[in-house]
Amino acid sequence: MKKTNTIRYLTSVLLLFLLTGCWSSHEIEELGLTFAMGIDKGEETELEKKFDKAGGDYPKKDRITMIYQYVNEQAAGSKSTGGSTDQKTYINVYETGDSLQQINAEVALRQDRPVFSPHLKVIVIAADLLRTYSLAELLDQPLRDNEIRPSSMVLVTRGRARDTLELKETGEMPAFRLLKIVENEYKAKKILPPVTLAKLTGKMRSGTSYLLQNVIGTDGEIKYAGAAAINGKTNKLIGYLDEHDLEGVMWIIGKGIGGMVKSYDPTEKKVTAFGVESIKSNIKPIVKGNRLSFEVNVKSEGYLAENWNTKEKAFDDKFLEKVEKTTAKTVKKSMEDITKKMKTEYKADLAGFGNELRIKHPRLWEKLKKNWDETFTDIPITFHVQIAIKEYGTVGDQ
Amino acid sequence: MLEKERGDFSMMVGQQDKITVSQTSIVITNFLLGTGILTLPRTSGEAVKAPDVWLSVAFGGLVAILAGFIMVKLSMEYPDKTLYQYSRDLIGKWPGGLFTLLLICYFLATSGFQVRSVTEVMGFYLLENTPIWATAMVFLWSGIYLLTGGINPLARLYEIIFPITVLIFLIVIFMSASIFDIDNLRPVLGKGIKPVLEGVKTTSFAYTGIEIILIIVPFMRKPEQALKATLMGISFPIVFYMITVIMVIGALAIEGVTSRTWPTIDLMRSFEIPGLIFERFESLLLVIWIMQMFSSFTISYFAAALGLSQLLKKRMEPILFSLLPVIYLIAMAPKNINQLFQMGDLIGNSAIYLVGLIPLMLLVISKVRRKKFEKN
Repeated sequence: MKKTNTIRYLTSVLLLFLLTGCWSSHEIEELGLTFAMGIDKGEETELEKKFDKAGGDYPKKDRITMIYQYVNEQAAGSKSTGGSTDQKTYINVYETGDSLQQINAEVALRQDRPVFSPHLKVIVIAADLLRTYSLAELLDQPLRDNEIRPSSMVLVTRGRARDTLELKETGEMPAFRLLKIVENEYKAKKILPPVTLAKLTGKMRSGTSYLLQNVIGTDGEIKYAGAAAINGKTNKLIGYLDEHDLEGVMWIIGKGIGGMVKSYDPTEKKVTAFGVESIKSNIKPIVKGNRLSFEVNVKSEGYLAENWNTKEKAFDDKFLEKVEKTTAKTVKKSMEDITKKMKTEYKADLAGFGNELRIKHPRLWEKLKKNWDETFTDIPITFHVQIAIKEYGTVGDQ
Repeated sequence: MLEKERGDFSMMVGQQDKITVSQTSIVITNFLLGTGILTLPRTSGEAVKAPDVWLSVAFGGLVAILAGFIMVKLSMEYPDKTLYQYSRDLIGKWPGGLFTLLLICYFLATSGFQVRSVTEVMGFYLLENTPIWATAMVFLWSGIYLLTGGINPLARLYEIIFPITVLIFLIVIFMSASIFDIDNLRPVLGKGIKPVLEGVKTTSFAYTGIEIILIIVPFMRKPEQALKATLMGISFPIVFYMITVIMVIGALAIEGVTSRTWPTIDLMRSFEIPGLIFERFESLLLVIWIMQMFSSFTISYFAAALGLSQLLKKRMEPILFSLLPVIYLIAMAPKNINQLFQMGDLIGNSAIYLVGLIPLMLLVISKVRRKKFEKN
């Protein structure tokens, strides 16, 4: 028994050495907290060109330019002490090269705080790059890295990623604004459900085409503007959807509660606005023998939000019915517009028709999924819209 | 001979050192829940290739219950002996000895595998620059400290770990509901029942660990309740595994799951809940997972040491200490993560024969013998 005790004491003393902890700790002030990452077409900045001239060059191809958005710890620190500052709260670092990991390492040669990405929130990709490289290639490093969380949101920009990561105001992080706009879905319809790295992996590998939210940036302002269509097989860009197109898609998939529909009275040409409170969308695949078709039923309830037609009374049921009809027409048209575009322009299913077929007719889907986008272009789709106005706010008669 | 054998173990199998029914089922549960909980969504997703993985997991659980039933039946033939002891009585000294040796190797490999998995995951997600041996050492040394006390401290520690695991696991996994999408789990049986059945082989691997009942029955205060303990011990993992698979595939989709090395941790990393004290929950998952891995490791270590001590008829402690470096070497044997996964598959495959088919065989032999004996 005694011997055992000695051994136990010895073991516990030895264990003490392992309790020193924090071998690989870094002070938080020394971390280059990166909140956003941009991927642009390779184009060296003036600074980089000067660096190259002075001998700071290495063998590489200028394929992509990465933008790392750091916290400016000086500006962030002074804000808490109350001093006003003209400094921006962020620093953007640009670095060009052809490997994300190498570009990342190059930044460590320039900054005392190297890129630290466990707090990365947003990745913005210039859509032009997606004509040459696939998403799977561009995002391989972020998906593989143990620092970057799969909860990071992926956005695409029609312009340059660096423009979407600039803000005029000094007190705000562009990364956070990009992230927070998603939460405005209760107000705006044209916001796609957020696509994170985690969700994107499934989309990239499923083989069906999909949409990514498009953002644009100019003069230090940013805007969510439509979407970019990505081919499911190649993971490259198909084309852009403008805001009207995206609205159609949102109606088909039944998302974006809290949006509104503006329509013009057919006779008076006056504006009426319908505020959406609920949407139920049902995509029904119909198989008859060898023929496949889709029927989309959209039901939406809401309220009359605006009416410029002062002659009419909202107390009058007939007027409400008229608004319901014109609204339904507008919704139907926006869905038909985008469907036509999907069939002729993009030649791809971007609104999840294939997904419904997969769920309701899995065996048929197995046969069709290989060439789904081509098959989709010939499939007839009909739309039925029912709009119900439940109330009209505080004004019933102007 | 038999008296002497029992004398050697009087310290461990004494009345005080026996464990209750609920302790037994917790030992089984804790042994089952190991690496599987982090990799099962991927391995089973690859095997099934349809969203019906959760069905495969349930069927795998049924297979496990069946296997557990056979094992209990076998153990009840010799309720005061471990498999190591009665296998020699049943099939002769040499074949029995060989079987015991193989079993010991199996448990050693399992425990080495657990140590390596935990150090790999900790090295990747938690302690990036800490050398792998350092984390392995902490694990091994605290394991041996626990095991020198015999089975009772082991069971009591698991009794503490288990409720914490259940609570944190359920909280954390249901927090991922925000990214759950039911479409990822539909259609049910879209490709028919065939892929589901093909996946059962993989999913039943996740339940290896029930074989521990073959060894701990003589440690039970009431061995006659071994079946109850086993059923309880298996049903917890079935529920755990099903929840895990449903939540992970629901969030990441089957195509996404099959590409991730550690899908369950990635599920936790795929969402943040702002406003709570904690925004991120993967460390909570890792905490309970490491505790589970510690229990899996210590049980298999215990089983291996017990086997060797009963085979050589030596005291347990020196054997525990001499096995420590062996486990370390086994843990460090895989050169990379793929070899580690291959090692896991190898252990799973050998489990089919060692603790699946052979116990069934032994049960048949024992029944036949008993009948002969009764006739005579």
